[in-house]
Amino acid sequence: MPLKLLKTNMDKEQTIERVLHAKRYALTLDKELCTGCGICAAICPREAIEIKKSPKVEGERVEPPTINIDEQKCHYCGMCGPICPFGAIEVKVDGEHLISVLESESFPQFIREIDVDTTKCDLDCVDCEEACPLELIKVRVTSPDGEEVRDIKSWPGKENLKVVVDIDKNLCPCCRLCELKCPDDAIRVRKMIQGFIKITPERCPENCQDCLDVCPITGALYLSEDEKVHVNELFCIYCGACKMVCPEEDALELQRTSIRHTPIRSGAWNKALEKLTSTKEMTKELQAKSVKKVKETVEKRLAWRG
Amino acid sequence: MSEEPRIGVFVCHCGLNIAGVIDVEELTEYARTLPNVVFAKRNRYTCADPGQDEIRKAIKEHNLNRVVVAACSPRMHEPTFRRCVAEAGLNPYLFEMANIREFSSWCHPNTPKEATEKAKEIVKMAVAKARLLRELKTMEVPVTNRALIVGGGIAGISAALDLADMGFKVYLLERGESIGGHMAQLDKTFPTLDCSICIEGPKMVDVSRHPNIEIISFADLLSVEGFVGNFKVRIRKNPRYIIADDCTGCGECRDVCPIEIPNEWDMNMGVRKAISVPFDQAVPLVYTILKDYCIECYKCVDACGARQAINFEQEAEEIELEVGAIIVSTGYNIYEPYDDSLYGYGKYDNVITALELERLILAAGPTGGKVVRASDGKKPHRVAIIQCVGSRDVNKYEYCSGYCCMYSVKHAVQLKEKYGDDVEIYLLYMDMRTNFKGYEEFYQRARKAGVTFIRGRVSKIIEDPETKNLIIRAEDMTLGEPIELEADMVVLSTASIPNEGTDEMSRVLNVSRGADGFFMESHPKLKPLDTPTDGIFLAGACQGPKDIPYSVSQGSGAASRAATILSKKTWEIEPIIAVVDPDACRNTRVKCGICARGCPYGAISAPEGEPAVVTAAMCHGCGTCVAECPADAIAQMHFTDAQIIAQIRAALAENPQSKILAFLCNWCSYAGADLAGTSRFEYPPTIRAIRVMCSGRVDRDFVLEAFRLGAGMVLVGACHLPYDCHYISGNVKMKARMEALAKIFEKLGLSPERFRVEYVSAAEGVKFAEVIKEMTEHMETLGEKRIKAENEKLQPTLERMLSRKKK
Ligand SMILES: Cc1cc2nc3c(=O)[nH]c(=O)nc-3n(C[C@H](O)[C@H](O)[C@H](O)COP(=O)(O)OP(=O)(O)OC[C@H]3O[C@@H](n4cnc5c(N)ncnc54)[C@H](O)[C@@H]3O)c2cc1C
Ligand code: SF4
Ligand code: SF4
Ligand code: SF4
Ligand code: SF4
Repeated sequence: MPLKLLKTNMDKEQTIERVLHAKRYALTLDKELCTGCGICAAICPREAIEIKKSPKVEGERVEPPTINIDEQKCHYCGMCGPICPFGAIEVKVDGEHLISVLESESFPQFIREIDVDTTKCDLDCVDCEEACPLELIKVRVTSPDGEEVRDIKSWPGKENLKVVVDIDKNLCPCCRLCELKCPDDAIRVRKMIQGFIKITPERCPENCQDCLDVCPITGALYLSEDEKVHVNELFCIYCGACKMVCPEEDALELQRTSIRHTPIRSGAWNKALEKLTSTKEMTKELQAKSVKKVKETVEKRLAWRG
Repeated sequence: MSEEPRIGVFVCHCGLNIAGVIDVEELTEYARTLPNVVFAKRNRYTCADPGQDEIRKAIKEHNLNRVVVAACSPRMHEPTFRRCVAEAGLNPYLFEMANIREFSSWCHPNTPKEATEKAKEIVKMAVAKARLLRELKTMEVPVTNRALIVGGGIAGISAALDLADMGFKVYLLERGESIGGHMAQLDKTFPTLDCSICIEGPKMVDVSRHPNIEIISFADLLSVEGFVGNFKVRIRKNPRYIIADDCTGCGECRDVCPIEIPNEWDMNMGVRKAISVPFDQAVPLVYTILKDYCIECYKCVDACGARQAINFEQEAEEIELEVGAIIVSTGYNIYEPYDDSLYGYGKYDNVITALELERLILAAGPTGGKVVRASDGKKPHRVAIIQCVGSRDVNKYEYCSGYCCMYSVKHAVQLKEKYGDDVEIYLLYMDMRTNFKGYEEFYQRARKAGVTFIRGRVSKIIEDPETKNLIIRAEDMTLGEPIELEADMVVLSTASIPNEGTDEMSRVLNVSRGADGFFMESHPKLKPLDTPTDGIFLAGACQGPKDIPYSVSQGSGAASRAATILSKKTWEIEPIIAVVDPDACRNTRVKCGICARGCPYGAISAPEGEPAVVTAAMCHGCGTCVAECPADAIAQMHFTDAQIIAQIRAALAENPQSKILAFLCNWCSYAGADLAGTSRFEYPPTIRAIRVMCSGRVDRDFVLEAFRLGAGMVLVGACHLPYDCHYISGNVKMKARMEALAKIFEKLGLSPERFRVEYVSAAEGVKFAEVIKEMTEHMETLGEKRIKAENEKLQPTLERMLSRKKK
């Protein structure tokens, strides 16, 4: 059978496929998880990901941009999968979840450091679950034999009940809302992306709150009395969804400075890192890790960029 | 050569062939009366030794400096007599022939009086031209004894090995990463079923080890300049991002590379890595990074380690080579019938092409030699093989692709031998073509193996959406009724088509293509390996579909054709070329270059502000540029304006209004007229013909001059459009020129039938005779009075238009 490049677009997901007589590749974008931040598009080496701004309707909330993957251009390297902070992209080869760039250590994974000390948890607290803007946390109480206990009040010996906090880590962008909402200091989250963000309200157009409309993290941006959007940098994950919709060139500045990831030595990652942060940050990381030959190659390849 | 011409005329009896019709005595007498004729004689057979002796003797005794032989066609004996006069110390170009046999005695046997009169005028025309003949020197160019072979399939490989074994240096240019061509993609070969790569692989290795062969792979041919013996070739070597000399072919980089891409070598059915070779036996065994897909992770750089063979900085490199001969062996491609909904190719998972089957059945292929369906990975139990997909189809490719019958029989036998009774094979064919040695026997083997042969053409294939099986509807020609078959897999034997880039190649090499798009040979029977461009030869499937034995033979044949040049120190070129008069060329004053654009061989360059120059060795002597030049600044040696006008004037000196003046091209229409003579087709003796090498030489002024002199009719004879022209496209230029002229004549009130362009092939003697009969009838219907009246009306305009010719 000749090569087929297919695409199916549905309400909740978009799937592209490369079907060979003897092998089948598929990439699925979960549209419900995607925030339109554009990180994947920035690092895609084939420029296969197109970001489409949603048209703005006066007086209505702005919708986040949508992304469209070009089945003719994608070559299933799979880098967009692990780089999506929200886990919205999945690549499969012959039905198996398999990302060869991860297998070969050509691309890293985020380090999501989320520690929960459930011994500190109150039996009836679900604050973190309620706090998570992406609904990734499920809190339950279990008996010694692992059964979920719903009616805690009428349970005889409360001391042998345990709190279990399930977090869907792969989809978590580490905004720390749960940590900060936790009354018992039981959760520790380290941000996986560091950076800075600044809004200069004077530059914002009248009545605009587009960035706030699209921000996936409740509270990272908020409207204050001056009717302008302000930042609470504590929660910001530096995904940049706000930047994608901001109508003013310099009202919103956002810069990523570092990304916590599994150790890696790879030119492909260096390039991605440079695109997501800056040449300076990338070289810093390069200096720290690379062996000589690879470093030389990378440096030579980047020389023309100054 | 300003000495007074002293012409000797020799009239041949040709036994009774001429003398039986024409009064040769009277003709000889007449010849003596012609200007500058100082000697005339009759011979029984001028071409025989005694006849030739007489010529040589007369040259000496009568101090002749021009010779005219009135005998048969110059296409027959011109070379003989040129040699003869040269032996007597005369320049061979001071010889002219008057064709009174094919053009008179043979076609007018029943009107001897008219035939004699016509013969007189033919001799008169020859003498008129002879008076103006000039000495010409055959040119010699040095020969570079190296060869370039373009395309490293089995045809190119065979040619390369043969030439290299003869001791010539060979550059083998291959645009792919490896040599081998399609043969390296095949599993087994008919009719012996030996493993294809096992027999080709050693040859590929021989090529890479041969001290006289240099493989230039992953490279493109950019341009070819120069001419036979002296070609300058520019080639771009594309970057592999691997230093060829340092790559050991270990494949460690491939193992670590994360990127998989469809492998075109596997017909995109399997994958290869971004750093890889297309197949394991590749020659040269040098890896390539497919940069479009590489993510630059540099895992390969690590793996390559101390060998340091990877270089991401590599850039394309242009090289220039000098070679004496070029062999084109760029092969073919297969038709992928996406555009024909009949077969469902590209739509139904289990419909594949024959070349895809080759990759499936091959042990080293993407499925490890398992023939499985794409839809479910299961082995098919019923396979239908369908012949002539795209071939022998007036709506697609009219020709027969030749070897599909044989490879389909091969596939049937292979599947039977592999899976035995577990698989049923239906082979649907139109005609089974199994010529050549061992082929019919192989077909019988398939019959014995239990393959079901069905003679019929498929009308529709549909897919069962559940099972993904295919329902084939066809017309069984033996039963004469429609049939329906269900199969698990359908294999399409698709047409062999010109390779990608053939048009570009044809432009770069100046080699024309046939109506089917394949490269065209110089002569289908006698020069099957030559192209019209001297020094460039064809081998293998680039000239038309061919199987392996045929391609190999052609490779060897082309090698020996090339060796006829490479083995010489110098090469001779016929001096009937075009020469520019730099003072008359207007390109120095205005941007002209019409000649350069008109030359079918790119032999003329006209740099801005400078007079045009003809590269003598590239000029084939068609004379198209001469006729195209608006300033009359180009002359064709041996066919000058003055010589041709002298012929026109001689032909029309008497009773012009009752004559057809014809310009006939040497290769088709003149040959067609010869054939009319040899076939003894009779036609009225009204025509006076002037031979030119190509119809492209026929200047507008010649036609104007003929009518100015009062010609009854004018005919321009040419090779058939679009591909028959011996000089690629001289006839095309002539057509445009004459169409424009016809418009002018129409405005001037010339009856349209008086000026005619006819395409007559060398085989169309009948047509030629018919055309002359028809034109004569038209001429008679119009009548002398009308013709004269028209001419009179035309006269002043023609005088004006020709004023600059009146020198
Ligand atoms: C399905 C199938 C099965 C077959 N089975 C058999 C069989 O069993 N037995 C048999 O005898 N024949 C078989 N054939 C036919 C066989 O493939 C051909 O006879 C043979 O390959 C012709 O060789 P070639 O060298 O002329 O052309 P090719 O094999 O096409 O080689 C041409 C080469 O030129 C190169 N090239 C092309 N253009 C350029 C360019 N512009 N510059 C530089 N290089 C260029 C190509 O890359 C290629 O390497 C089969 C064909 C098919 C389709
Ligand atoms: S990286 Fe951003 S834009 Fe891309 S899929 Fe993930 S959330 Fe959507
Ligand atoms: S798999 Fe690779 S090529 Fe395809 S969209 Fe993702 S990043 Fe781009
Ligand atoms: S404010 Fe932070 S979390 Fe919100 S969209 Fe912008 S970058 Fe993302
Ligand atoms: S740098 Fe390119 S070729 Fe080398 S291993 Fe990485 S993807 Fe493959």
